[in-house]
Amino acid sequence: MAESDAEIGFRKDTVSKLLSSFFKEDKTRLSGDAALLMAEMLRVFAREAAVRAQKQAESEDCDRVDIEHFEKILPQLLLDF
Amino acid sequence: MSVDKDETHQRLKAAVHYTVGRICQTVGEDHRREFSRQVIAAIAETAVRQSDIFAKDLEAFARHAKRSTVTPEDVKLVARRSTALSIYIQNKSEELNHEQRDLKKKNTGKRKSRDTDEESRE
Repeated sequence: MAESDAEIGFRKDTVSKLLSSFFKEDKTRLSGDAALLMAEMLRVFAREAAVRAQKQAESEDCDRVDIEHFEKILPQLLLDF
Repeated sequence: MSVDKDETHQRLKAAVHYTVGRICQTVGEDHRREFSRQVIAAIAETAVRQSDIFAKDLEAFARHAKRSTVTPEDVKLVARRSTALSIYIQNKSEELNHEQRDLKKKNTGKRKSRDTDEESRE
């Protein structure tokens, strides 16, 4: 992974609030370290989606990454996570 | 109450959308290809829905371990499906542990509250 974009990622409280809003029970909490790790997971997920869609566009000789490229890589992406 | 909840959810989605946009921009710059707005929106939506699945899994894992707090151990289980990702997350987790040990060494004497520690790390 490139060094230069290492700092682009999700904020810890964003991830913490997002995950907490999806918990079924109110008493479930998320520890600080778990939130940081999940932020990393989501960053990898988003980056993987972007890189795979870009590769698909490349293989079809397109200058722009369009929705059909993302549609093609989506099923495998979801199976990998 | 539910209107309030809805608004928070929209704001969280917007935050995810913003970060996904920036990630797509860097990926695009590296390969001289731009991402359509539709793709960025779709990736953001997918990330939010995947978070829903992650959250439910994390909650179930924590409950299975008879805890009500989700810990890094649960996150490691969530990442189990892909070997590379699982190893990556385990390394990250160890890195965090080391960082915390270093912070504790530095802070002996003047104890900071946990909140300020976390803010300074971001």
